[in-house]
Amino acid sequence: MIFHPTILALLIGSALSSVMVLAGAAFGVRVLRRWDIASGRHGQLVLERRTYLFSVLLAFVMVAELLSLLLFVFNADRMSAQFVGAMCAVGTLNANAFGFPALILKIAVFFLASVWLIVNHVDNMGYDYPLIRVKYAMLIVIAPVVLAAAGVQAAYFLDLDPEVITSCCGKLFTQDATGVSAELAGLDEKAALVLLFGSLALAGVVAAVHARTGQGGMLYGAVSVLVFVAAIAGIVSVVSLYVYEHPNHHCPFCLLKPEYGYFGYWLYVPLFAGTVLGMGGGPIAVFAGAPSLAEIAPRVSRRLVTTSMVCLTGFGAACAYAILSSGLILFGT
Amino acid sequence: MAMSDTIGKAGAAGVLFALGVAGVAWTALDVRLRADEAAIRQGERARLARVLELTDLALFTEARYTRHVSQSDLHSAFQDHPMSLDHFPSGSLIGARRIHPGAGSIIGEQP
Amino acid sequence: MTVWLRRQKRLIDYTVASLLRRAARNFALLAVYTLIVFVLATVMLFTHALRQEAMVLLDGAPEITVQRISMGRHDLIPASYVDAIADIRGARDVRGRLWGYFYDTANGANYTLMVPDGDRYGAAPDVGETVAGAGVARSRGVVPGKYLFLLSPRAKLFKLKLKDVLDADSEIVTTDLVLMAESDFRAFFDVAPDVHTDIVLKVRNPREVAKVAEKISNALPDCRVVTRGDILRTYDSVFNWREGILLALLGGAIFAFVIFAWEKASGLSAEERREIGILKAVGWETSDVIKMKMWEGAVVSLGAFLTGYVLAYIHVFYFSAGLLEPVLKGWAVLYPRFELTPQVDGVQVATLLFFTVAPYIAATLVPIWRAAITDPDAVMR
Repeated sequence: MIFHPTILALLIGSALSSVMVLAGAAFGVRVLRRWDIASGRHGQLVLERRTYLFSVLLAFVMVAELLSLLLFVFNADRMSAQFVGAMCAVGTLNANAFGFPALILKIAVFFLASVWLIVNHVDNMGYDYPLIRVKYAMLIVIAPVVLAAAGVQAAYFLDLDPEVITSCCGKLFTQDATGVSAELAGLDEKAALVLLFGSLALAGVVAAVHARTGQGGMLYGAVSVLVFVAAIAGIVSVVSLYVYEHPNHHCPFCLLKPEYGYFGYWLYVPLFAGTVLGMGGGPIAVFAGAPSLAEIAPRVSRRLVTTSMVCLTGFGAACAYAILSSGLILFGT
Repeated sequence: MAMSDTIGKAGAAGVLFALGVAGVAWTALDVRLRADEAAIRQGERARLARVLELTDLALFTEARYTRHVSQSDLHSAFQDHPMSLDHFPSGSLIGARRIHPGAGSIIGEQP
Repeated sequence: MTVWLRRQKRLIDYTVASLLRRAARNFALLAVYTLIVFVLATVMLFTHALRQEAMVLLDGAPEITVQRISMGRHDLIPASYVDAIADIRGARDVRGRLWGYFYDTANGANYTLMVPDGDRYGAAPDVGETVAGAGVARSRGVVPGKYLFLLSPRAKLFKLKLKDVLDADSEIVTTDLVLMAESDFRAFFDVAPDVHTDIVLKVRNPREVAKVAEKISNALPDCRVVTRGDILRTYDSVFNWREGILLALLGGAIFAFVIFAWEKASGLSAEERREIGILKAVGWETSDVIKMKMWEGAVVSLGAFLTGYVLAYIHVFYFSAGLLEPVLKGWAVLYPRFELTPQVDGVQVATLLFFTVAPYIAATLVPIWRAAITDPDAVMR
């Protein structure tokens, strides 16, 4: 199994990332302990020079991690043909105990890496390394997650046995089963819809206030997390039904298949982009406290929050389109 | 050089890059354009394979275990005696096979 | 935004000019890089297309094939086994098949001699006739209407009239076939009338294939049962495994290339060091130099990737991967001429990108940084 080209690429990629992140975290510890911009010591000079290297290196790792999540999901979907009982990515991920943990960890890395990239971007705009401590403190938090994701992913692929008969999404995402997936599938349709569009509306209001006054950046960050949770719940419990035009098919992965016109990408790409920009972009406004960012941070924050809201609106529109154009009628009209 | 003077070297690089992207786009388009005809011909091949009840690709005709990969028995790579190792070049292009206990069948999968 | 764009444009302007100034050296790097992408992309496109071809063509293979094993070898199966299998519930159209291998001393090729099922194959040859694959006809230089002479294993010369040649488009599965009538086949190989090569059958309900296969191997313990699923999985994994092994081997080439790129990026000539020193002296910042060098890497790697990939596509789908032919052909005399159905898969392109561009960028990052932190006075003194 391990000699599958995409698996090889994923394993090599995560191994490279792990090494680089570890080196970055070690450097981060030194920055947190020794960094003193006012000092003219040789050590400080070396540190300053190194930050250029690690800034580029880590940006590279983070971008690679974003792509690797995409490739991971793609590949899980593609490999479902090789497993008896699998019909979409769910079957492949369910083939052993490490599949779903690997996916969840990779999504976590995706979010952390994106937020880190945003902070890094803002930091590079200030002339006096204003966010250097924040950046490397974050990196020390991210490093274990990246390592865990790489480890669990390796365990998943190494343990993958084509002889295992796995279960398909129909078994996992039903009201009758147990677990989080079943809870989501069993959610009341009306409540889920209200939650979904309600959270989107709330995000819109906060974004408007933020654009007008520059206040509420932190709040927007929190709201975008709420939107993400509500959106996933909404997709599993209601939106998927409309896309499949089937009252009991709740799978959030089959959406990515060509049979449904790759509709999932119209949902997930704007949702993930919007969430990430919100999570990173909103709280960025706080850094206006640093003198060199006093003008930059609010400007970047406003731009990111606006972009985030555009993405989330796109996501909402895609959901609405799915519901309105569907042949399925869930609520009496 | 006149071109690079007017639109700049970045422009020239951009044109080359656009050519490359156009090349990749062309491959995707080519797949679409040839798809219909190719599907018909492939369907015809599949029909012939079905009526003749063929079980294997005729890619490697040099040895019986490479000609009929899915039909060959476990020992055919060691045709003459246990120490006669696989010596046909295409034998190295086909993965060794493994018995799955209980399944009663053989799958060419590496552990 | 326009300021940002103009800045990047200037950086690219500068990068391209500096690449062109050392055209010969950079061209060598670009050529090696393109070649690596080309080889990797050829392997990936070719195996993917072959795998897909196998999946489509073998989807019509018999649902179950039963062969008798004796002393670890495929043995002839008695006709009585046909009746034994026909008694099993769910099995239908049970039929003994006759096929075998034949080494043709005239040209050193191996053929697959086969008796087609007259009910399924309309153009089945009569006694004294044959229908041959295009590879056989080509290598023996026979045309329909003429005679194909085969020296049987019992040293008897058989004269078969070539009735037809199988569609050349299907060579990938039929190139070495020689179809003949049952009586001819039995006479040719001197096979007893009450035995077959193997037995094929259909299963009424596709869900019951595994059940029927199990019943057969219980009833006939000296037989091996091959289901259609086994055949498809065999081919799927054969190609996956082969592709993976080839990529792992080519990993050595990638690694060598990475070292080459690292060397090239870190072994700055005195002239380049001077150049960076001057840039910094005139006000470029370290991050600008890094950006410029990153653009350089992007131009080289994207250029190599796009060129290599497009060339590989043309090679595989317009020239049937001709450069791989000697490898695939081995010592065989017959090799099918085939045109693969063009296939491009996004996951594959992404994987290829990952395999080729990521190592290059990773290898050049540190040297780029080393170059960028150069002190202006250190080089200009």
